[in-house]
Amino acid sequence: MNRQRFLDAAIGTFVVLSVVATTGLAQRPATSSTASHPSAAEATASIVAAAQAVLKTLDEAGRAKVQFPFEGPQKTKWSNLPSGIFKREGVRLADLTPAQRTAVDRLLSTAFSKDGYRKVTEIMRGDEVLRKAEGDGRGGPPGGGGRAGGRGSGGGVIFGGDEYYLAFLGTPSAASPWMLQYGGHHLAINLTMAGSEATMAPSLPAAQPATYTFEGRTVRPLGNENDKAFALINALNDQQRKQAVLDYRVSDLVLGPGQDGRTIQPEGIKASALPAAQQAMLLDLAREWAGIQNEAFAEARMAEITANLAETYFAWSGPTTNGSAAYFRIQGPTLVIEYAPQRGVDHIHTIYRDPTNDYGAKFTKK
Amino acid sequence: MLALTTVVGWGAGVSAHRTDEYLQAARLGIEPGRAHVELDLTPGTALAEGVLAAVDSNRDGVLSADEQSTFATVVLSALALEADGIRVTLRLDAADFPEAASVRRGEGAIRLRATAILPRLSVGLHQLVFRNMYHQDRSAYLANALVPESDRVAVMAQRRDSDQRELRIDFAVRETAATSRAALLFGAGIAAATVLLELRRRTSRAV
Repeated sequence: MNRQRFLDAAIGTFVVLSVVATTGLAQRPATSSTASHPSAAEATASIVAAAQAVLKTLDEAGRAKVQFPFEGPQKTKWSNLPSGIFKREGVRLADLTPAQRTAVDRLLSTAFSKDGYRKVTEIMRGDEVLRKAEGDGRGGPPGGGGRAGGRGSGGGVIFGGDEYYLAFLGTPSAASPWMLQYGGHHLAINLTMAGSEATMAPSLPAAQPATYTFEGRTVRPLGNENDKAFALINALNDQQRKQAVLDYRVSDLVLGPGQDGRTIQPEGIKASALPAAQQAMLLDLAREWAGIQNEAFAEARMAEITANLAETYFAWSGPTTNGSAAYFRIQGPTLVIEYAPQRGVDHIHTIYRDPTNDYGAKFTKK
Repeated sequence: MLALTTVVGWGAGVSAHRTDEYLQAARLGIEPGRAHVELDLTPGTALAEGVLAAVDSNRDGVLSADEQSTFATVVLSALALEADGIRVTLRLDAADFPEAASVRRGEGAIRLRATAILPRLSVGLHQLVFRNMYHQDRSAYLANALVPESDRVAVMAQRRDSDQRELRIDFAVRETAATSRAALLFGAGIAAATVLLELRRRTSRAV
């Protein structure tokens, strides 16, 4: 019997590792191979070079705007809310020249994975769709109004594709810690770099609208997150689902902006109670957030999440039919992910945290 | 003191963010001998004026320290905390009020922090019940137990009503390391004494 259990466990571990490896490879560009991926040191060098290139395009005033001390209040100043409600610091895309914007774009595409860059640009594009819908009064939510140019009705509120800000905390360097802060309405990325290590916790990718059409194709910035989560909850049997599904409504993020340093009691089903195939689905779901950063760092992060999988929980609140609005949370020793639809399926807030390493706390304590 | 300033509204589309709901996010921490309650109150833009008016009782446009304290007391009086069925009193530790303008924009959260002294809890299982009856009209609630900082306390289970107005936390109080050591030493002492007495008895018999 013990021998059989040992074999079951060994087979389970093998299946998880295989699926993790497969999903990891599946997310990589079709033209690349494992060998073609840069090492963490190479990725760091590229990101630092791209950040320095941005600085070079700015004049003295621009550099003063973009640069903040690494240890300072700016670190925790981020939000999902639009400008006018939340005041962001840094350089604003709308104020940059085409050459400067190209340099920023190059930095983002270097700092993020291919899929992460796709997600970030789709979130920003979605915000522009929202701006146009509101500003032009075409198809905005009931009662929608607002002025063109990204200012919502009532004045003061600004959003849209140009209303994103970049800031550097500390000096971009391959040797000492620094942070890339990038955000606007429905997006807050806090990428802390420390030598050849990096973390993107805490970050807040969100979306409104959650589905839109761009150049004739349907875009869902957080569609994978939604679909993979529904696939997982529906892969559970009745008993597992009973453990995973919370019997109360969760109307918003519990650990959103302003909730740094808090750890809530985990709930839901423990991953150790799931068979290997569902564990792999859970990891694949977590990768949607952990994989936003450059692949060189995302792989190390996924290895850490995988190592803590047995102590990771999956909780669900809401209907289990895809297309419904449902909240879910993945919580482990080094991971918190929340996905919280806001009154329907077309407006999603999510949060990604590492309770042990938000803002690179673990790297900078060394 | 916080001055009340010009109203700043915002677009209804972006206002798919919560506008006509009052978000009340509670977090409960349990430590040996006490419980902490953190309550963040974020009124939606449509409710902001009413909330500000409830704080600014003399309508002078300024949220004075006294008015803030009175408001916090009113909110706390609508919270109930019970340990093993015994009502315990929440005492206000801190009340942070944002700028009135940010409340009007739907961003500002009023943050209240309170502590209750718990009755002496024996080692074993216990229950803490939190109920939030503040502003029950048009509120959205969140209520969660924090992971205890002390390893003497462990949260075993959480149960809520469907709206999270009520949170029941089953928790365990464990022995302190010192208590465990003392019990271990006591047990070891008794065992050693028993062995010595038995040896003495046998020795006496042999003689």
